[in-house]
Amino acid sequence: MFYVSMFFQYISQYAKTRLQYRADLFVEFFSDLMSQAINLIFILVVFGHTDKLGGWSRDEIIFIYGFFLVPYAVFSAFFNIWNFNDRYIVKGELDRILTRPIHSLFQIILEGIELESLLGAITGIAVMVYAGSRLGLAISWYDPFLFILFVIGGALVYGGIFVMLACISFWADAKTSIMPMMYNISNYGRYPVNIYNKLIRFVLTWILPFAFVGVYPASFFLGKNEWFWYAFLTPVIGIVFFCLSVILWNYGVKKYRGAGN
Amino acid sequence: MNAIEVKNLRKEFKAYSSRSGLKGAFRDLFTRNYKIIPAVNDISFSVKQGEMVGYIGENGAGKSTTIKMLTGILTPTSGQIQVNGMNPHKERERFVQTIGVVFGQRSQLWWDIAVQESFRLLKKVYKVSDEQYEDHMQHVIRTLDIEPLLDKPVRKLSLGQRMRCELAAALIHNPPLLFLDEPTIGLDVLVKLKIREFLKEINEKYNTTILLTTHDLSDIEALCERVILLDGGKVIYDGGLHDLKENLADGKELHFQFLENVDLPAVKKATNGMPVKWEYDEKEQVFIANIENDDLLISQIIAVIVAAFKIKDIKINETSTEEIIRNIYEKGAVEVG
Repeated sequence: MFYVSMFFQYISQYAKTRLQYRADLFVEFFSDLMSQAINLIFILVVFGHTDKLGGWSRDEIIFIYGFFLVPYAVFSAFFNIWNFNDRYIVKGELDRILTRPIHSLFQIILEGIELESLLGAITGIAVMVYAGSRLGLAISWYDPFLFILFVIGGALVYGGIFVMLACISFWADAKTSIMPMMYNISNYGRYPVNIYNKLIRFVLTWILPFAFVGVYPASFFLGKNEWFWYAFLTPVIGIVFFCLSVILWNYGVKKYRGAGN
Repeated sequence: MNAIEVKNLRKEFKAYSSRSGLKGAFRDLFTRNYKIIPAVNDISFSVKQGEMVGYIGENGAGKSTTIKMLTGILTPTSGQIQVNGMNPHKERERFVQTIGVVFGQRSQLWWDIAVQESFRLLKKVYKVSDEQYEDHMQHVIRTLDIEPLLDKPVRKLSLGQRMRCELAAALIHNPPLLFLDEPTIGLDVLVKLKIREFLKEINEKYNTTILLTTHDLSDIEALCERVILLDGGKVIYDGGLHDLKENLADGKELHFQFLENVDLPAVKKATNGMPVKWEYDEKEQVFIANIENDDLLISQIIAVIVAAFKIKDIKINETSTEEIIRNIYEKGAVEVG
């Protein structure tokens, strides 16, 4: 309960600061929109040369891409830990975090909230509606609930992986460039995994389960029966990875060496 | 009950020394030479509730590391810590509810939001009720004179203004124990005085324990009856500031300024045969005679000098705390009481 109320306290604080810098807000939203458009164009270009990709049609792949944008937006809004090493370890802000009576990871998540990223979810849903209507998909009463469940699961998968990456900073002093690399790998989850070779598919399912952010849950809504199991595993994988990351975090905080004065 | 209880506390850092040259850098890639450096080396002390203790030492003596272990930020390598009856690192979230921390070189407040918004958020973080907040913080805000700063964002405050706000922020939950790591660094005299007065006041009013590290010994003189002196990660002195002065400040300094042109050999010649060490401070144009605390000797020297030269000014100084501490570091450990 305390954590829920703290969540809203931080959000309202965040909103106050954000509204002071209106111009920033628009620029950020606009650049987000641009990068999504570029990705979409890429898909369209690929399908300019071929009609099917590993048994998936153009509209299906666009649908998956649209779905992927939603958990990704939730992730970027709440797990802004790209700069964890710089801001908290090198500059020593973790000292401050650790002298406050709230779980350290929770505080860092709260301080990094970027609600405007949620606008990306709207783009995602629009893309899904467009692709879905061209495919003539029907919506059942339980679809919205499953959609929310899958989105949360996908966002937790993302969050878990990136929290684990942030934990590396507790052990390694030097900055690592692993975060941007992981970001590139995460993009593979947007496309149907059966177009990749077996090894990559295995990695994307069980080791860096980015496939659970895009293709697996989306294929449920596309009515691809062979993937149903994977679709329903999404929340499970999300919870497992996130819990693992919290355990790793708790262990890492004990190894924190502090920044010198 | 003791507020702080520390036994054989030790913190080691692993540092690797890099080899020189390109060839060395390549070898470092595969095998590194690790050195284990004890930043805090088996220290033990305890602090009673309501005490104000100065924790001093040179840079790198292990002050900050100790404070960070006492506040639960760092995990000790070995040894026991009990602060407010808890183990800081094990029960961190419950424990930090009972302490206040100010790091002079790092802000505790949120940079972008107004001071009062920071306070409001911290009030929620520490679960302070409205009545408690009103009752306690009104007083704090008035004494520190930060009322006019409350609606300004932290980044627009001057250092002195910010420090006063930091101090207020650390006291929102009225903790029984306060850690101050160089709270007066870079502040002007007026702000320093205000902060000192304030600390004294809350110590009297709430019996707040205060552990203070600083490079400014006048802070310690003004506030602390007890000092813990640290060198190379070890406690080299723990006791009253008064005793330290009494036992070590056995010397006196005589300051002379002359009307005529005098040089060092001339004054030395005048006091030839007396146990005195002369120094000349060129900036102030002052001749300083360091002697033992002996009334007879003092008057003898003054008599000789006055007879030999035309005097502009004479001062008799006790050795300052700063000098005592400098002496301690030069000589190593102290043996007092």
